[in-house]
Amino acid sequence: MTSVLKPTLARCLWTAPAFAALAVLLTTIARATFGMTPVLQEDTLLTVSYIAGGIGFIVGIGGFDYWWTWMAGGVLDPHDHSTHGAKSWRDYFLFNTDHKVIGIQYIVFTFVMFLVGGMFAEVFRSELAKPGQQVLTNEQYNAMISQHGTIMIFVFLVPIFAGIGNYVIPLMLGAADMAFPRLNAVSFWLLPVAAFTLLSSFAFGSFDGGWTGYPTLSEQSPFGMTLYQLGIQLAGASSIATAVNFLATIITMRAPGMTLFRMPLLVWANLATSALVVAATPFIAGAQFMSMFDREMGTHFFTMGGGGDTLVYQHIFWFYSHPAVYIMVLPGFGIISEVIATHARKPVFGYRAVAFSSAGIAVLGFSVWAHHMFASGMQSWLRVPIMLATLLIAVPTGIKIFSWLGTLWDGVIRMTTANLFAIGFIFTFVIGGLSGVMLAVIPFDVSITNSYFIVAHFHYVLFGGSIMTIYAGLYHWYPKVTGRMYNEKLGRWHFWLTFVFMNLTFFPMHYQGLLGMPRRVADYAPQFEWSNTLISISAFILGASTLIFVYNLIHSARHGKVAGDNPWGGLTLEWALSSPPPTFNFPATPRVIGGPYRYGEEGARHAIVPEPEPAVVEKTYAAAGDQA
Amino acid sequence: MKPIKVLPLTIIGTLVGAIVSAVLIVTVTLPEQASVQAVAIDNLYVYMLGFSGVIFGIVTLFLIVAVFRFRARPNDTREGAPVHGITWLEVVWTIIPFIIVTACAYGGFVVLNDGNVEAQARTSGQVVHIEAYQFGWKYDYLAKNVDLTQQADLVLPVGEAVFFELTTKDVIHSFWVPAWRMQMNATPGQVNTTSTTPSKVGTYEIVCAFLCGVGHTGMNSSIEGSIIPRVRVVTRAEFDTWVAEQKAAAEQQGQTATTQTTDGSVA
Repeated sequence: MTSVLKPTLARCLWTAPAFAALAVLLTTIARATFGMTPVLQEDTLLTVSYIAGGIGFIVGIGGFDYWWTWMAGGVLDPHDHSTHGAKSWRDYFLFNTDHKVIGIQYIVFTFVMFLVGGMFAEVFRSELAKPGQQVLTNEQYNAMISQHGTIMIFVFLVPIFAGIGNYVIPLMLGAADMAFPRLNAVSFWLLPVAAFTLLSSFAFGSFDGGWTGYPTLSEQSPFGMTLYQLGIQLAGASSIATAVNFLATIITMRAPGMTLFRMPLLVWANLATSALVVAATPFIAGAQFMSMFDREMGTHFFTMGGGGDTLVYQHIFWFYSHPAVYIMVLPGFGIISEVIATHARKPVFGYRAVAFSSAGIAVLGFSVWAHHMFASGMQSWLRVPIMLATLLIAVPTGIKIFSWLGTLWDGVIRMTTANLFAIGFIFTFVIGGLSGVMLAVIPFDVSITNSYFIVAHFHYVLFGGSIMTIYAGLYHWYPKVTGRMYNEKLGRWHFWLTFVFMNLTFFPMHYQGLLGMPRRVADYAPQFEWSNTLISISAFILGASTLIFVYNLIHSARHGKVAGDNPWGGLTLEWALSSPPPTFNFPATPRVIGGPYRYGEEGARHAIVPEPEPAVVEKTYAAAGDQA
Repeated sequence: MKPIKVLPLTIIGTLVGAIVSAVLIVTVTLPEQASVQAVAIDNLYVYMLGFSGVIFGIVTLFLIVAVFRFRARPNDTREGAPVHGITWLEVVWTIIPFIIVTACAYGGFVVLNDGNVEAQARTSGQVVHIEAYQFGWKYDYLAKNVDLTQQADLVLPVGEAVFFELTTKDVIHSFWVPAWRMQMNATPGQVNTTSTTPSKVGTYEIVCAFLCGVGHTGMNSSIEGSIIPRVRVVTRAEFDTWVAEQKAAAEQQGQTATTQTTDGSVA
């Protein structure tokens, strides 16, 4: 009985419906009072139930318990750490304020969403395997591609980097946790709500506007489109809250001696990314709010009549969604710098240039949004400065690529799975980057935009870029997180299958686009048959290869070789701790005395972790408790 | 082991990349170049693919050589050289990409200006208004010499610049003729314009490139069983005959239902 009152998932089972019911009641009363007909309007009631139900879920899981108790004048113990750290697997399903627990929650949850989004891709690839339509109707096909894109971007690629950062960054900084642990937990628990909102839209006709949800098509769509708009707002809120947390953590919680230029490059990358998230995400949230108001409240932000303008949606949408590409890849760049330096036993070549190039990309990233709109009929003069900015952004990206090559050069390269993914990433990302440069040039872009060439390009960037870095990062920190080594042999199989079939899946799409196959179609001209069959078969194998990864990680967590504290010989601070790290990370505040990549220097150290002084720590706690 | 010389490797990488580009250029048969602009855009594509191939060749070659040459042996406890950077090299690999993207931008400018037939098309050529709808295209010929409305087919004379005005009745569509290398969205609430100069007689696919709802897949003349007609580019004489036929047909129809022409008179 008590479990439904304590902050657990069980409590969510009644708080979420209770909040939804309350919202429905209030709405109905309001509608009846003001004489609106019909009083029970389905779309309105569903919308308010989803919003209130989502809040109810966060309440149920315990997101507001601490703040509520404080507001109600209850007794709070600032040193109550009962929600901090996981003792058993059950704790991962609870509201937990430990950044390491939250990191794992993020990574596992988003990876499950990756598998779900991947399943959608396999379903529509089976439709595309042969010309003609066999598996899906047009409605189902459009729903599948829209869900695939939306799930992958908003509940996998963007948040999984927040998950990796959550686990690693406080450790790298020598901090005990993130700056705002409760906010951190709320950020995470918003994600299941967002994912539920997006996926449950299947019950209401799903959404069919691709991941972009452009009006005026979105105005025609079934109720599922409103859930797409809500889902993005929820994921966006989670993303903003996490970014604020990262900014505060990185700026204020660095260990003594950790100057900006002694920060590991993953921290730099997250700093740049978080600045982007905080500045850009409100744009997409705004666009989705306005678009939702158009649908549900009869406003005219983007409608064709009534003074609305559909082109404005595209501008606002891409003002977020282009920086979002960097949000999805900059932390990956950071991971690659860590992985390559550690496994090639060499300092990152041109550390400062790499750090500044992250900042450069973050700034330039705001001036390129309209390259998604060269054929949209926007002001034609605007196309030229956008083209120049887009081309220019290749320069800092190039600096990173060359710096990684410089890091590998003359190193002692250990071909671990983590490093294989990092090296494979350079290969695939260069292809995505180069097709991006070509697409920046207006006449070429206009000749093939919205074709499969675009699909090829952004999959090379997001799969060949982001996902390869995610794999590299997950393999790299796996021993730290679990205390055990993954199976290298399975890891190698996973890498080669992923690498080969990733290229076989996405490279032929360049040809299809050049030859005139548009994107987002369920059927195609006969000339594209063999290439589509090849792509579909490769996509199935690519999908299956993920299972090797999942098996490897789950199996090795129990049966893997014991890793020890520092299996890779890394110099950054997380490797100075036990694996997995203790609940409160460092026994005493570390002192940073040098750069993070001093490989090859005899006896060089990045930081010193002093021996703990338990008696003193105990006393301070007691004193602080008395004062409170 | 002898140290590897970086400069010769760069040159080899450049050559390898050039070969990769050449292979891609030769093996990919692009759609027929059926407009004057298509030639320029394809040249731009080849030009940029050249640069891309060279960068790809250099990066890949260095990557592969590094992996094989600097690979750790089993139980290798050596550490790499504590080199934190070489400033002149970093400057070089900042400047060279900068030069390359400037070259791409230059190429883009040239083609953008060359390809701008708008002014010419607007004054002397055909003006065709395309209204996109779910799920098809409606063509209106607005030029003085052709007073047709609501034709099912798009027929154009070869070698004459044509100016398109695109509007939409409902959602965003995109009018794409791959053989012309021309695409423009039809955006709700505005008139978008684009132009081209068809250079070859023949029929070419018309594709809606923008997700426009359930019927989007079928809004593509290249799909088997599609009801969307291809664009027909014909000689001037054939075009004139076709126009006459259409006028006659319209007049016949006009006896039952009057059709408004562009100059306001009743046909």
